[in-house]
Amino acid sequence: MSSHSILFLLTEDLLARILGKLASDSDRRAWRLVCKEFHRVDSIHRTSLRILRIEFLPNLLTKYSNIRLLDLSVCPRIDDGTVAFLLSRDSVGSFVRLKELVLSRATGLRWGGLEMLVRACPGVEYVDVSYCWGFGDREAAALSCAVGLRDLRMDKCLGVTDVGLAKIAVGCSKLERLSLQWCLEITDLGIDLLVKKCEDLKLLDISYLKVTNESLRSIASLQKLEVLSMTGCSLVDDVGLEFLGNGCPLLQVMDVSRCDRMSSSGLISVIRGHSDFLQLNAAYCFPELSTTLLQGMKNLKNLKSIRIDGTQVSDCSLETISTNCKCLAEMGLSKCIGVTDMGIMLLVSGCFNLKILNLTCCNSITDAAISAIADSCRKLLCLKLESCNLITGKSLEWLGSCCLQLEELDLTDCCGVNDRGLNYLSRCSELLSLKLGLCANISDKGLSYIASNCSKIRELDLYCSTGIGDDGLAALSSGCKKLKMLNLSYCNEVSDTGMEYISQLEELSDLELRGLVNITGAGLTAVAAGCKRLAELDLKHCENIKESGFWALAYYSRNLRQINLSHCAVSDMGLCMVMGNLTRLQDAKLVKLSNVTVKGFELALRACCVRMKKVKLLASLRFLLSTEIIETLKARGCKLRWD
Amino acid sequence: MDIKERLSAESWTKSASSGNELPNKSSSNHQSFNNLNSQQHQQKWEDPSGLDYGIRIEPSFLGYNQPSETSSSIPSDPNNQIKISDREGGQINSILQTSRNQDWDPRVMLNNLTFLEQKIHQLQDLVHLIVGRRGQILGRPDELVAQQQQLITADLTSIIVQLISTAGSLLPSVKHNLSTDPSIRQLGQLGGVQFSSGEGLNGGVLPQTNDGSKVSDHSNQIDLTGNHGTEHNYTIEEHESKDEDDADEGEHLPPGSYEILQLEKEEILAPHTHFCTICGKGFKRDANLRMHMRGHGDEYKSPAALAKPNKESSSEPMLIKRYSCPYAGCKRNKDHKKFQPLKTILCVKNHYKRSHCDKSYICSRCNTKKFSVIADLKTHEKHCGRDKWLCSCGTTFSRKDKLFGHIALFQGHTPAIPLDEKGSTGPSDRGESNETPNKAGSIGFNFSSIASAGSGSQNAMDVKGSVDDPTGYFSPLNFDTCNFSGFHEFPRPPFEDSESSFSFLLPGSCNYTQKTAGE
Repeated sequence: MSSHSILFLLTEDLLARILGKLASDSDRRAWRLVCKEFHRVDSIHRTSLRILRIEFLPNLLTKYSNIRLLDLSVCPRIDDGTVAFLLSRDSVGSFVRLKELVLSRATGLRWGGLEMLVRACPGVEYVDVSYCWGFGDREAAALSCAVGLRDLRMDKCLGVTDVGLAKIAVGCSKLERLSLQWCLEITDLGIDLLVKKCEDLKLLDISYLKVTNESLRSIASLQKLEVLSMTGCSLVDDVGLEFLGNGCPLLQVMDVSRCDRMSSSGLISVIRGHSDFLQLNAAYCFPELSTTLLQGMKNLKNLKSIRIDGTQVSDCSLETISTNCKCLAEMGLSKCIGVTDMGIMLLVSGCFNLKILNLTCCNSITDAAISAIADSCRKLLCLKLESCNLITGKSLEWLGSCCLQLEELDLTDCCGVNDRGLNYLSRCSELLSLKLGLCANISDKGLSYIASNCSKIRELDLYCSTGIGDDGLAALSSGCKKLKMLNLSYCNEVSDTGMEYISQLEELSDLELRGLVNITGAGLTAVAAGCKRLAELDLKHCENIKESGFWALAYYSRNLRQINLSHCAVSDMGLCMVMGNLTRLQDAKLVKLSNVTVKGFELALRACCVRMKKVKLLASLRFLLSTEIIETLKARGCKLRWD
Repeated sequence: MDIKERLSAESWTKSASSGNELPNKSSSNHQSFNNLNSQQHQQKWEDPSGLDYGIRIEPSFLGYNQPSETSSSIPSDPNNQIKISDREGGQINSILQTSRNQDWDPRVMLNNLTFLEQKIHQLQDLVHLIVGRRGQILGRPDELVAQQQQLITADLTSIIVQLISTAGSLLPSVKHNLSTDPSIRQLGQLGGVQFSSGEGLNGGVLPQTNDGSKVSDHSNQIDLTGNHGTEHNYTIEEHESKDEDDADEGEHLPPGSYEILQLEKEEILAPHTHFCTICGKGFKRDANLRMHMRGHGDEYKSPAALAKPNKESSSEPMLIKRYSCPYAGCKRNKDHKKFQPLKTILCVKNHYKRSHCDKSYICSRCNTKKFSVIADLKTHEKHCGRDKWLCSCGTTFSRKDKLFGHIALFQGHTPAIPLDEKGSTGPSDRGESNETPNKAGSIGFNFSSIASAGSGSQNAMDVKGSVDDPTGYFSPLNFDTCNFSGFHEFPRPPFEDSESSFSFLLPGSCNYTQKTAGE
């Protein structure tokens, strides 16, 4: 009765606002299960749908009437036939409402289906077809039917040439954001036409394209461009950057990382023209940070983020940055040579707004630097200290006492980290991601400190932290209920008991168990039965898992999308069960399965060939498998990797 | 239906018999495919020079009638049709083969000889007459005498030519050389000149080339005997017609004031048109042959023998020569209602090869374009791959940047995706969309297993919902109904799961064949 009264108080309006505060899927799931009213509010206010089982789509689309975004990127089988079927039903009407389509990795889809889909969603504004590696000009032509398109991601659509790009440029002239990463066939001509046809472009990503300065000359004429990403454009040099310096008046974010023909003078010419830069990524561009560049940087008063990974820096250059870029929130110094304690101290003395600091492989920094960071940057969210070998538990003490907002910490390969340090660190209760890989000096005790206090942790990496055993996992399973990603590879102490504990982590979706020789079928059975949400599982070199484990896996892990069974003792039967029964499986690594015969492989692949997107096999199988199955896999958009 | 068929049959036969405008007529409808094909076959087997009229007509009727017989019912399988016509073509071919083997048929020879005999008799009569008249009237003007002499020599020469060609039909090597031997050519020319004047006396028994439909047995025979030397053939014809025109303007007046020559298929397609009378070696050019002849003796080294043979005739005021294509029904064929003549022999050759021959030269660059004239191939190869840039407006460009410049300039123009690519993917895609229900069916959603996993009541409900209505679509073959042969080979897993334990076999085993068939 009392609950009834509460519902009277909470109007739909209020409920919707509360619902809006719930960010994570699991919270929303819990919300839906409260009562019918809550469920109803959720179905009315739900705007996005990411589904694993395409067969539910028609019903879901009719149930949720306000869906804007449809994400099919994790569906195993999206092909022209599926699309035709979906659209042949009454649900066509619900497609009309869709504004955003995520078709990333829908490798089975071809232009026929794509065109049907695009035409069924006339109001679509955002389409993501990234990593559909088979896509070419015809698919691009199909996309160009979406005249209202504003945002398009087509990273690694390997077949798209200038012709396809021209189709899109002419068809979708309202385009504001376009990502063309790795579309290697696109040249200057295509970019030039794009720029002429789509004058509203605000974001353009031409990373890894084989374009030259001519493209930059064209791009410079884009009056509304704010974000330009050109990672790894190795044919572009300072001349091209000069064009940019004289054009693109609104440019705020630029990524020129790995453009190795570029020198700092080119960057200076860009900076000179754009004093309101917000982000600059110049990682692995030039060997050292020149003083002229630093002089140029003085103009960048609003700079929020700068990454100069792989560059040689000096203390005074960091000081120049510190004194001029007071707003700096992100600093990337990964693999920079010459980063010292002094440099860091000078840096943080000015930039106390730093939220993200990447000091990966800055080997010479010590606890002193960390203490300075912790002291100055109280709002630090992310700190990466991989391979900073001189850091000890003391650093973690500083962090644990000052940086209480810390969400992400990478301590991989910091051999100075010990249980005591983790104890201090556990005061950072906001931690979402913690990487403790290759930290040989931590044990179950340290892990239990973290587990008991950092209940929000989503990602935990314990790769090769050999001190971790079953007890640590026991603490973890009781403390970190929200854990989604766990890496236990080569933690050799872990046994079936540990797996029992892990099975209590219901949210777990990614689990790496490489080389855990103490795990048997029973352990895997427990994990498979307990972790219902498991999507990615790595069992490489788990040599003692026997048939029953794989059968259990095949029976329980219905949501598994990716699996690595390399060097496992799985048999013909087990492999067939796993590959055939796990109907969401899309990516499998099946190298060196000594107990599986060619016939077994053949049957297993036949059982799953309609939905696989990626399979890795031993190279010798290339000639042993029937060409029929290989051709079928390829025709279905499955990428075969031969090891 | 019957009436319709008959009607169409009639129309076809009509078109076949009356005009040769078949290509024109049929180009609009789908039957043209059949027609052209059968026609081509017919053409291939047809050897006009070696055929008598009856045989020549027969295949063409076969060709035309066939499509009409089935035209109403066969639009979907032209292949079949072609096969049939092929077969019949083969039969015709065999007939032809035999008839060709009878090339030197004694009967034909006899015909020739009787013809010659007649001619000699006629000549005899004529000379008798002259002798008689001379006796009667002495004071006649010299012109008449000269005229009479001319007539006699003309007749004599034609007889000689006939004799030689008849003899030549017996010996293949001699046949070829007939035309090229300068002395014989001279004879031929001479004969040509006077032959026609003699013809007037003979009552119109002459090789008729201007009007194919009237071709008589006799003219065919001449064709037959003379068909191996192009030069020979047309020089004779040329002079004949010319003199015919001179002799009787009103009888043979073509639409234009030009003479029409028709080479036969073999002559057109022969790689060499000039053959050495002595060794049989072939040449493309007469000049080369003349050079070659020097090696056969001093008599060929004289300036006269080495001189251009028809230099003399070219000095005369020549009538314009035009050529006809031997292909019946072709617009370039003289029997066509709207006959358009070809200007030169080269035109004839190129036209015939381009229009009526297989395109045997394939471009090595694009591997798609085919040509029957090697020069065309060479021209194409110069530009191959350059004009592949096509705009949606139909304009082609040899360079990509030109296309892109064009597209940048005009609103709404887009690059067209190359046709050949479309050709390769287009049909299959169309096929795919046709069989979409099938394909969607082959996706292999595994409802039973999901339901049995029982991960939540919500899920189960959803499953039911979608299972209920599409049944045959998402899950085309239920595992239960699918009888997998290897079912009993595997032990059952230790789970109490009635439905899903072997569902792994479902997508693979059941869909596999279906899918590969679809691909």
